[in-house]
Amino acid sequence: MAVTVIEPGLGATGTRRPRPPGHWQAARRALLREPRRVVGAAIVVIFVVLAVVGPFLYPRHLAANANSIYAPPSLVHPLGTDFEGTDVLSLMVTGARYVLVSGAVAGAIAVVLGALVGLLAGYLAGAVDWSLSRITDFALTIPQYPLLVVLAAVVRFTSPVLIGVLLGVTSWPGLARAVRSQAFSLRERPYIEASRSLGLSTRHVIVREMLPNIAPYVAMNLLVSMIGAIYAETGLFFLGILPTSNVNNWGAMLNQAVFSAGAIGSPQAISYLLSPLVAILLLTLGIVFVLDAVDEFFNPRLRG
Amino acid sequence: MSPDSPPSVKVTTGSGKARWARLGRRLGARVLTGVVMVLAVATLTFFLVHSMPGNPIQTEYQTLIARGVSPSLAAQQVAGMYGFVSSKPLIDQYGQYMWHLLQFNLGKSITASGEPVVHLVLSAAPWTIIPVLSGLIVSFLLGVSLGAVAAVRRTNRLGKVLSVSGSLFHGVPQFVWAVMLAYLFTTLLPIFPFGSPYNILDTPGWNGPFILSLVYSAILPVLAYALSSYGGWLLTMRSSVVTVLGDDFVLAAELRGLRPLTQLRYVARNAFLPLFTTLLLSVGFMFGGSIFIEEVFDYPGLGYQLVNAVNARDYPLMSGDFLFITVAVIAANILADFLYTFIDPRVRKAA
Repeated sequence: MAVTVIEPGLGATGTRRPRPPGHWQAARRALLREPRRVVGAAIVVIFVVLAVVGPFLYPRHLAANANSIYAPPSLVHPLGTDFEGTDVLSLMVTGARYVLVSGAVAGAIAVVLGALVGLLAGYLAGAVDWSLSRITDFALTIPQYPLLVVLAAVVRFTSPVLIGVLLGVTSWPGLARAVRSQAFSLRERPYIEASRSLGLSTRHVIVREMLPNIAPYVAMNLLVSMIGAIYAETGLFFLGILPTSNVNNWGAMLNQAVFSAGAIGSPQAISYLLSPLVAILLLTLGIVFVLDAVDEFFNPRLRG
Repeated sequence: MSPDSPPSVKVTTGSGKARWARLGRRLGARVLTGVVMVLAVATLTFFLVHSMPGNPIQTEYQTLIARGVSPSLAAQQVAGMYGFVSSKPLIDQYGQYMWHLLQFNLGKSITASGEPVVHLVLSAAPWTIIPVLSGLIVSFLLGVSLGAVAAVRRTNRLGKVLSVSGSLFHGVPQFVWAVMLAYLFTTLLPIFPFGSPYNILDTPGWNGPFILSLVYSAILPVLAYALSSYGGWLLTMRSSVVTVLGDDFVLAAELRGLRPLTQLRYVARNAFLPLFTTLLLSVGFMFGGSIFIEEVFDYPGLGYQLVNAVNARDYPLMSGDFLFITVAVIAANILADFLYTFIDPRVRKAA
């Protein structure tokens, strides 16, 4: 019996057809379409590089110098010095790792939990959906910052990864609700009904069939959750809820500047006070512009 | 629906009595869910506080001993502060806590020398509600009107500038706004007072100078709140208007040759519906939504009280603030759901 094997990618003449533009190409095109997206990507890359190499550039304990407190920016101290005479640039550079690591951990956990709960509720429906939805509603009702203030006081974490875990497990419900409604509509699509009637396992349907369809949405939300987590984390340090001593974090810098060192009342401290604020703003700006590109990459209708 | 089936969609909007009964049942169900949620939050808070490293009661007891108070007196004082005897098993303490909660008794504060927590929370609430409500109104009016403009003019420069401003303003965290405004207008350009919600030289009360200083000191906090929430309103209104603009009735209005202003009124009324719910929910979230602004400007509101209670390990006050803030959100949820049925007839019929 003759079996015709159709070679994928091979034309009638046996030569390779030109491949359709790949993901990388589409991503590059989406990025290069507007200059601000390139700027955004550059900002994000710079911060990531700082987070990776920053702590290796400076000694573990940054030197303080009582003779140059609130020094203005100079060649030695490009961003001036803080209330102890420590170089502000070195604080910023070494602080980037903490901020980004906990942001990334939190974003990843929030996205995984949110997508999982949303898909399970939307696909299984019935009693599972009912109980997962009640839990989601409940978690959405509790105001985030007051809850974090209370939780942070209970757990007293200091490591960036654990803070990331804390922020991640408190910020999934929004995504879960959105994914659930998408899963509900996916559920009725013929190909899902087909896989269900083939008797494929729930795990297969959810991971292999439904997840790829909501992947773009989840990818966007990874960035959004990361921004949220970075705010929450620097905010908690800023409030002094997380211990600020011996921690290099922009929020801890701001806490000392505003509440204990009195930098907020002193015009000389301008570069010290503004540095963490500008860093947070720059990072936000970078991520917002990159999101714009990601949005276009995943929504072909926006292209054009 | 098959073509031969009669149009039997029973819309019993008619007789008022039945409608009110249905609304009442709906409200009752919502309130019941709300009560269950409040009890769940209270339970959560109780067990959180009691799983804290370093039993707060033990800590307080040791502080008193360290101050030279005799052990028996210290035990007595600690018991008085918490309103329960700490030697009871946890489940009994929980029962007592919930029983007191039903009587609106949240225990006594540790730091404020045994003042009832309910009293402290209620006296902090106006310091949160008044500035935040003002900021909410300002940002809502500004964001919604500019959002409508951004949607109608979305293809030209003005629309693009407005939506980018929305994304950026929305992206900046509240504490960044607060610190920047405080530094700019109290230190670099000292035109506003800093560090007190009113001029301490004025005597508090209903007199002109005091009220004036209250309003004057409130400008920066209100501005910080308004700036931090303006972007969200702009973006929400913009996307809502864009959605409505695609509806058939807009095209119909245009084809009928209605004046642009009339068309805009049609669009605005429909685009506003989803924002109404968000507005009511924001009213709930505002109780706990200004922690950063209160900290920076030394406003003795609920967020400020919560952070201080946490830092001072005043657990009864901490639980009380947290519970109050959560109850406000739950109440606003119920209210939003209920009022929505009044302003959107489609929901009323479907109910």
